Amino acid sequence: MKQTLLLLCILCATSSLIAQSYNVTGKVKDDNGEPLPGVTVVVKNTIKGTTTGSDGTYFLEVPGSDAILICSYTGFAQVETPVNGQRTVDITMKESGSVLGEIVVVGYGTSYRQDLTGSISTLNAKEFELQPVQTFENALQGRAAGVFINSGSGKLGQGLNIRVRGISSVSAGNQPLFVIDGIPVISESIGTSTEPDNPLATIAPEDIESIDILKDAAAAAIYGARASNGVVLVTTKSGRAGRTKVSLGYYGGVSSPTRKREWLNAAEYRELFDYAAKNSDFGELSGAEEFGFETGTDDWNSNNDTNWADEAFQNGGVQNVNLNISGGDARTSFLISGTWNDQTGILVGNALNRLGGRLNLEHKISNRLKIGTNLNLTKSLNQRVPSDNAFTNPLQLNALPPIQPKIDPNTGELNQNTLYYNNLIDLEKGFNDATTYRSISNVYGQWDITDKLYFRTEYGIDWLNLQEDQFNGRETLDGAPTGVSYSNQVTTINQNVNSYFNYSKQFSRNFDLTGTLGMQYQSGERTATSATGAGFPNDRFTKIASAAKILGASSTETAYAFTSYFARVNTKLFDRFLVGLSGRLDGSSRFGKDQRFGFFPAGSVGYILSNESFLQDNKVVNFLKIRASYGRTGNAEIGNFASRTLWGANFVGDLSGIVPTQLGINTLTWENTDQLDIGLDIGLFNDRVSATLDYFSKKTNDLLLNLPLPATNGFTIITKNLGSLTNNGWEATLTTQNFVGDFRWSTTFNISGYRNEVTNLNGSTIDGGSRQLGRVSEGEPFGYFYGPKYAGVNPDNGNAQYYDINGNVYDQEDFFEIPDAERNQKIGDPNPDFFGGMNNRFSYKGLTLDVQLQYVYGNDLYNIAGFFQSVNGDYFDNQSRDQLNYWREPGQVTNIPEPRLYSGNGAIKSSRWVQDGSYLRVRATTLSYAFPKAISKRAKMDNLSVYLSGQNLFTFTKYEGYDPEVNATYISSVNLGHDFYTPPQARIFTVGFNATF
Amino acid sequence: MKKLALLTGLFALLSLGACIKELDIEPVQSLDATLALESASDIESALVGAYGIMHQGSLYGTNLNLVSELLGSEDYCQWRGTFQSYRQIMNKTITIDNAEASRTWVDAYRAINVANSVLDNLNKVEDAALRAEFEAEARFIRGILYFELVRLYAQPWDADGQNNGPGVPLSLRAASNEEGASVKGARNTISEVYAQVISDLTAAETGLPESRSGTSRFRATNYTAKAFLARVFMQQSKYSEALTKADEVIGSGNYTLNAAIAATFSNKFTAETIFELYNNDQNNAGTANDGLTTFYASLPGIGRSDVRVLAAFTSQYEANDERSSQLIYIGTGRRPGSRQTGKWTDFAQNIPVIRLTEMHLVRAECNFRLGTAVGTEPLADVNAVRKRARASELSSLTLDAIIAERNFELCFEGSRIHDLKRLKRSTGTFPYNDPKLVLPIPEREIRANSALVQNEGY
Repeated sequence: MKQTLLLLCILCATSSLIAQSYNVTGKVKDDNGEPLPGVTVVVKNTIKGTTTGSDGTYFLEVPGSDAILICSYTGFAQVETPVNGQRTVDITMKESGSVLGEIVVVGYGTSYRQDLTGSISTLNAKEFELQPVQTFENALQGRAAGVFINSGSGKLGQGLNIRVRGISSVSAGNQPLFVIDGIPVISESIGTSTEPDNPLATIAPEDIESIDILKDAAAAAIYGARASNGVVLVTTKSGRAGRTKVSLGYYGGVSSPTRKREWLNAAEYRELFDYAAKNSDFGELSGAEEFGFETGTDDWNSNNDTNWADEAFQNGGVQNVNLNISGGDARTSFLISGTWNDQTGILVGNALNRLGGRLNLEHKISNRLKIGTNLNLTKSLNQRVPSDNAFTNPLQLNALPPIQPKIDPNTGELNQNTLYYNNLIDLEKGFNDATTYRSISNVYGQWDITDKLYFRTEYGIDWLNLQEDQFNGRETLDGAPTGVSYSNQVTTINQNVNSYFNYSKQFSRNFDLTGTLGMQYQSGERTATSATGAGFPNDRFTKIASAAKILGASSTETAYAFTSYFARVNTKLFDRFLVGLSGRLDGSSRFGKDQRFGFFPAGSVGYILSNESFLQDNKVVNFLKIRASYGRTGNAEIGNFASRTLWGANFVGDLSGIVPTQLGINTLTWENTDQLDIGLDIGLFNDRVSATLDYFSKKTNDLLLNLPLPATNGFTIITKNLGSLTNNGWEATLTTQNFVGDFRWSTTFNISGYRNEVTNLNGSTIDGGSRQLGRVSEGEPFGYFYGPKYAGVNPDNGNAQYYDINGNVYDQEDFFEIPDAERNQKIGDPNPDFFGGMNNRFSYKGLTLDVQLQYVYGNDLYNIAGFFQSVNGDYFDNQSRDQLNYWREPGQVTNIPEPRLYSGNGAIKSSRWVQDGSYLRVRATTLSYAFPKAISKRAKMDNLSVYLSGQNLFTFTKYEGYDPEVNATYISSVNLGHDFYTPPQARIFTVGFNATF
Repeated sequence: MKKLALLTGLFALLSLGACIKELDIEPVQSLDATLALESASDIESALVGAYGIMHQGSLYGTNLNLVSELLGSEDYCQWRGTFQSYRQIMNKTITIDNAEASRTWVDAYRAINVANSVLDNLNKVEDAALRAEFEAEARFIRGILYFELVRLYAQPWDADGQNNGPGVPLSLRAASNEEGASVKGARNTISEVYAQVISDLTAAETGLPESRSGTSRFRATNYTAKAFLARVFMQQSKYSEALTKADEVIGSGNYTLNAAIAATFSNKFTAETIFELYNNDQNNAGTANDGLTTFYASLPGIGRSDVRVLAAFTSQYEANDERSSQLIYIGTGRRPGSRQTGKWTDFAQNIPVIRLTEMHLVRAECNFRLGTAVGTEPLADVNAVRKRARASELSSLTLDAIIAERNFELCFEGSRIHDLKRLKRSTGTFPYNDPKLVLPIPEREIRANSALVQNEGY
């Protein structure tokens, strides 16, 4: 605390006296004379600033008549305008491809991009406002270099995989920290399903002004112990002074799966299984007889030909209405918005709808003191589909034999006598609803102590209530015989206080300094209560009040807290040398009691070469900056009580006892990531071409690992800070203005790659499980595939063959005779070689075509379900059609072994089901038309635009599964790129309009 | 003004300093280990906790039954579920990462560690009688689990041999910190493990109470220890020792056969069971992916018929035998139409682990082998079991008839492979001592403990 005081005193002593106030007003317009709302106008070298209102007007109190105003606006070149003693200063800004002048949100403050020494990707609302995305993370996909996003599946409301610059942790999670209007929010799954829900799906993309992703240590270290996976800062829209503006947006559309697969029809099914039964290792069996045994039906001899796989899908749709009213005067500005979003999934029974409202209000009590609030409340209802691994997952219907009917002819009801559960019954006789209420709200006050120094304090709360209601009727698999109802209430409350000073001063022409000093406290608490009941009078009673029997009930509670101090100093010397230093001291209840506080420093330098005289008037290069940073961040997602040795309850009938539940150590603490970043920003031909290049090298130490212990002492693991891994990579973004003028064409291309290597696991390995291939092992990338390598089919006898580690080929039965260590090898890598996206925007007058591509190259995928669905008729699961090319006679060369019912020929986990997962996807295509002002004015509108949009229109891939953008999440996180009856993405067509009054 | 603002800001910052204290947050669903075992009632809670582990699917809740049955499945039953782990066990193509081999090992040692924790904290129990009883109970738990481990993970006991082959590691001290939990114990010999089992169970036999009442009936009595000792001696072919223990259990008069055998499985804590798992709707081994009922049953909405019973076995029953007519049924739920055992049909049912009939059959077999009639004639013991099942009474006896009776009576209760091994009989083409009939030391364990040697054949 002493140091804090000292620093404060220094700040006080150096701040200048308050100069006489001087008011300036004016209008900011583009070069066509159209007013520009939302332009940031700042007095140079002070903290004073404002944004223009809806008619482009600003009011600003400046320190003196010699002040200089800086106007910044995304897509426009930054302008510096001296006040020169005038009271009215109108400013004209020119459109530009440059982003250098844009305001970038950094932690606890903002900066101009040109002055950044860290690596930050920014996405402004403008870039995705015409792409009807359902959650805001979708908007990032393919748009931010170094940020890899995998939607995982086409299920609505499902958690996404977001990775900033590789994989920085083995067990403490890899999701970035999400901060919305200054509040770190809950982004991890809190539901009970084995598949993560997505709390961020409750946030309306329309409310978002900008998303800034802090990628390197210089940018992220201010978030200390939680920044190793990057930090995503979300800023919501705010009101602007001027005439009240009403915007109404609507879109609606239809969706369908990106792809369906081909399965055997009834005749093909009988043919394959007849052959398989005859050639079974268990003797010459009869397909009809065995099928009868397995199902207890005579369906083999029926005329059914059911396309079960198609039954999993439905025509989905989406509708979205957004109303946004904003305005204000010189002292008070407001924004009120409401969004209604209703989505029906492509998977039967899957839906998500969201209704939310927001009030952002700011009021200036005086010229020096303002207060404000961002209030938000959302309700969402997600009708969820079961885990990929559940028999009730609709996609598992593709396993059902085509020779079995959907409707039982005897009862007229859904067929109950199917090989596996006919989970359509679940939809008819049950539901699985997750209702979420969420408020991410804050109040803040800001005191401009001097023109150079302000103090801001924010209190924020992220309150989330999840209510899960599941009912399975008496005829369902999980509800038999009398119905089962499950109810779960989870409440999560995060409270957060940020208090900090920001300081900005130009000490001389050659020395600018900005500084931040502050503190943050956050506490998080989660409570949950659940109950399961059975024994319902009939399926019309679904609440546990009507249950005769309580099968289970539970209540749980957990909590954590962080207390942090942070400081940052940035200087600019001679208008070209940039130096930044930051540090954060983080303490958390999660850290072991002997290791409670961590320090996370970062330093960075930049050199704006284009401000040197030798480049000043260069015709080609108009901007050139090189920068480098080095620093440390942490990962604190280590669990709330991981450092403790604990005993917990364990049950016997109606009694309860205690057993040890975990073994801990007092020194258990955060993971450390040291990151080096070297970057280059360049603007050519007056910013017609601009590019950013970054190389990064991240070394993560103290990885939290479960050190395997001999189970013979009663514990299988102890969690310690043991391991290390590295991520080395590069990323590049190239933006070009190919045509300017009436016909405009701009292109943004980004590409990134990383090499992940686990360097120290304390000699152990982590395996993904007996069916999965994922593995973590020293010297290999996280999650590489490890297992037997498939060698095809022995042409002589139809046996499946495998390679040993020396490349020798064995028939399957001989393969089992060789030692285990010689059977398994590296057979794939789910990490991409590179990935990225490309955006092309063409516009002519009011017509705009925006095409967003996204690609991933060089990653492998493993279809776990191959065991069941592409295994030459080993059991009666329907098979993918490629299995018809099976081995029938000696000499035949094929990749599909001889079908032998129950015999497991080629049925072990192996590279047989590993495929290249590279893809190129036309992620979003939007054709929009903005009506000329003359027409929209006649309709009493400021603006009117209509658009037609398609998402995931085309996908180019060699992957034979449903969709290459896949990541089954019910299995351990070691198993990247695994597919297990995982639903594909949706292809969505929408039409919509945006109108402003 | 400026100073005021600064002071306000400073105050706000300082007040946050108070939040450092807020970093001390205690878990509310668990207790710190240093506070967990402080009193006699805490020690008793730990004992109950250890039983809780034994109730899980990894141990008596499923695997100590099902793994044994599937290892000896030939001409008996068939696994046709989708779980590869059990299919491997049935086919004797077990891999070292087999999930069942792994979880049974891990949980057995978890329970053993709880028992060891009780033994290491007995000084917290002031009452000497209670202390002795808790000690006996902890040693019972440890003893039976080492017995289960050694007969699944090591070559069978060879009555004529040295039994110097690798058994399982004996861990006899509780681990409560990293150091203790990191000890790399090597495998003790088979004979050392059996010696420990007998020592533990003998201590339990003397220290445990005569009987239990109410909901405590899942806890061991001295007769439970004796019954397990009878099993252990049978496994070692020590017939006279087994005979003594079985006779003591029967002779106690504490147990009587139920009038109908089916009642044993449909009621809780009947007069016939000597050791029984205590379940209810909430606490049982599983209703979807684990549990005997899940795997063995096929009733509407109950079970998956993952295990079907083969006609080759059921056809050996007499027509009137209730063990067939009452306890073998044709499935009507999932995979309908196959033969199923009727012993496991309700998720919440208690699970008998040792029943009085087993003691009768042990006594009969031992008397028969030894040519004695301790307690009663072998024929009388066998007929007592048959009579209750409404099977015709036998007039004469052979060893094969006694063994057959064991199969009829104790099928699908977990003794299958152990009986075959002690009788040196093959299952299908696998001789009793085939390494494939021994579970592998789990892969995870071999990796974590360099002192372990893998079993032959893996």
